[in-house]
Amino acid sequence: MNVVEFTNVSKKYGKSNAVSKLSFTLAENKITGLIGRNGAGKTTLLKMMAGYVKPSSGNITVFSKDPFDNLQVSANRIFIDHQMSFSPLLTLKELLITAGRFYANWDSELAWRLFDYFSLNPDQNHAQLSKGMKSTFNMIIGLAAHCPLTIFDEPTSGMDAAVRKDFYRALLKDYLNHPRTIILSSHLVSEIEDLLEDILLINDGEKYLHLSVEELREYAVGVSGNASAIKELAQQHSLIHQKDMGSGRMYAVMKTEGAAKQALDQTRKLGLELTPVAVDDLCMHVTSKSQGGIDSVFN
Amino acid sequence: MYLTEVSTWDMVKKLYRYKLNSYFGVFTSLVIIQILSILFSLNGTGSSGGSSDTFEYNMNIYSGTLILAFMMGWAFLVATLITTKAYRYDDSSFVSNRTASHFSNILFLFSASIIAGITVYFSYHLFLSVVSLFMKVRVVQADTLTPIQLAQGITASVLYIFLFTSLGYLTGMLVQVQKFFVFVLPALFIGALIIDGNLSDEPRLLISLGSFYGLETSFIVFVFKTLLTTGALYGVSILVSRRVEVRP
Repeated sequence: MNVVEFTNVSKKYGKSNAVSKLSFTLAENKITGLIGRNGAGKTTLLKMMAGYVKPSSGNITVFSKDPFDNLQVSANRIFIDHQMSFSPLLTLKELLITAGRFYANWDSELAWRLFDYFSLNPDQNHAQLSKGMKSTFNMIIGLAAHCPLTIFDEPTSGMDAAVRKDFYRALLKDYLNHPRTIILSSHLVSEIEDLLEDILLINDGEKYLHLSVEELREYAVGVSGNASAIKELAQQHSLIHQKDMGSGRMYAVMKTEGAAKQALDQTRKLGLELTPVAVDDLCMHVTSKSQGGIDSVFN
Repeated sequence: MYLTEVSTWDMVKKLYRYKLNSYFGVFTSLVIIQILSILFSLNGTGSSGGSSDTFEYNMNIYSGTLILAFMMGWAFLVATLITTKAYRYDDSSFVSNRTASHFSNILFLFSASIIAGITVYFSYHLFLSVVSLFMKVRVVQADTLTPIQLAQGITASVLYIFLFTSLGYLTGMLVQVQKFFVFVLPALFIGALIIDGNLSDEPRLLISLGSFYGLETSFIVFVFKTLLTTGALYGVSILVSRRVEVRP
C-alpha cells in the first residue's frame, strides 16, 4: 500500500516554481530521506504532504485522502520542523501531556525517558529553549506520537553532533519497534545514509531520482587519470561531474547504467582508475548548478 | 500501523481544553481592564445639582455601562489577537484542521464572554461599594433587581460581549487574508461616519445601529438579534479564512 502519492504536483509562489511536476510514491513502513540543496523545494513538498499548503496543480493523496486541511490525515501524521509553535504560557511538561491527549498512539513512557535522557527541564517554556533544545524537544514529540506517517523537516538543525547521533539512533530503534512510514529531509546525507532505505533526491523543485540507498551506491563511478582519455570516454557516458586535477589529470563522475557499465570496465585498459562514489558526494554532484564546482568561479 | 479515526467534535473539545490553558493571558487582561474601567467609572456618567438660599444638592449618576463598554473593546481585541499567526500556528502543531480550529476558538471566545459578562456584574457592585464607601456620598440609591432581571442583565452583557468577539474575529481574519485591510477597514469605518454626518444634519449610523439592539424591548427578540448577527459574522469569518493557507 502506498501511504503517500504525488502525481504531477506543482506549487507556485508568485512567479517562481517551488515544486514543479513532481510525482512519486512512498510505500508503507519505509524510512525515506528527502535530499536536496537549499531552496530545492524540500520544505514545500513536506508541507503539502502534511496538508498545510495546497498545491497549485496536481494531485496528492495521503492514506488515500487529500491531505489539505484534512482532520483524519492530521490525526495520523505528524510534521516536525523548527518552526513548530507552542504556547509560551505552557511548560514543557504541560506540552507533553497535551500532545498525549491529541495523538492516539502516544507513547508517554518513551517521551519521558527521552526527556530525561536529554536532560530537559520540565518547568521551562518552549520559547526559552535554545535552538538545539527546541529541535530536541520537537523530535521527542515526533517520535513519541508514533504516527503512521512521521515527517521530519531538517529535524537536527541546531543540534550538536552528539545529540544528532543520539537522535538517529533513537529514530532507528523506535522505528524497529514500531515500523511506520517516516520521511526525513536533510542535507547531511552522510549522517543519515545508514538509517535510510530509500532516497528521494530533488533538484530545483523537480524529482531527480528516487532509489534505494544500495542502488544509489552503485549509481555512478568515479574515474581519474589522463584528461584526454577521460574526455574521450565521457562522450559515450553521461557525465555527472568533472574536476581538473592539474598536470593533465582529471577526475570525473559517470553514470553506470546498462551497457555503459561494461564499457566502463574497459577503462582499466586505458590506465584509468575507478573509485566508488559516496552517496553524499553523488547527491552533491548531480544537484550542482555548474560542472566545474566552486573552482570555476575562481578560474 | 493502524490508522486512527477521529471526530471533529472530539478534536474541537481537545483544542478547546488546550486553549483554556494556553490562552490564560486573556483572563489576566480581563482583570486589568475591569479594574481600569472601575477607576474610569468613578467620574460618574452624569451629574446635576441645584441650590436655593437655604440648601444645595448634588446628584451624581454612576453606571456600569462604561465597564461593559470596556469589556466590548477587550472582546474585540482578544478575538482579533487569536486570529494572528502566532495563535493559529499553535493549533497546527497538534491534530487539527481549520474547522476544528475555528469552532474551538468560538467556544473559547464564548466562554471568555460568559466570564466577562458575569464579572461585569460583580465589578459593577464592587464599583458601587467603592462609591458609597470612599466618595463622600450621603445617600446611595441603586436599583434593586429581581433574580429574573438579574439573569437577563447578565445574559445581555454576555451576548453583547460575544457579539464583539465575532466582530473582532472577522476583522482579524480579513487582515490575515489581505494585509491592506489594516488600512481599509478603519478608513471604511471612519469614512462611513463622515459621509453619514455630511448627508444629514444629525449623524444617525451608530445611533440607529446601537438602538437596533439596545432599544429592543422584548428580551427574546434581543437574544435572537444578537445571536443571529454573531453567528453570521462568524460564518463569514470561516468562509473568508478558506483563502489563507494553514501554515505556509
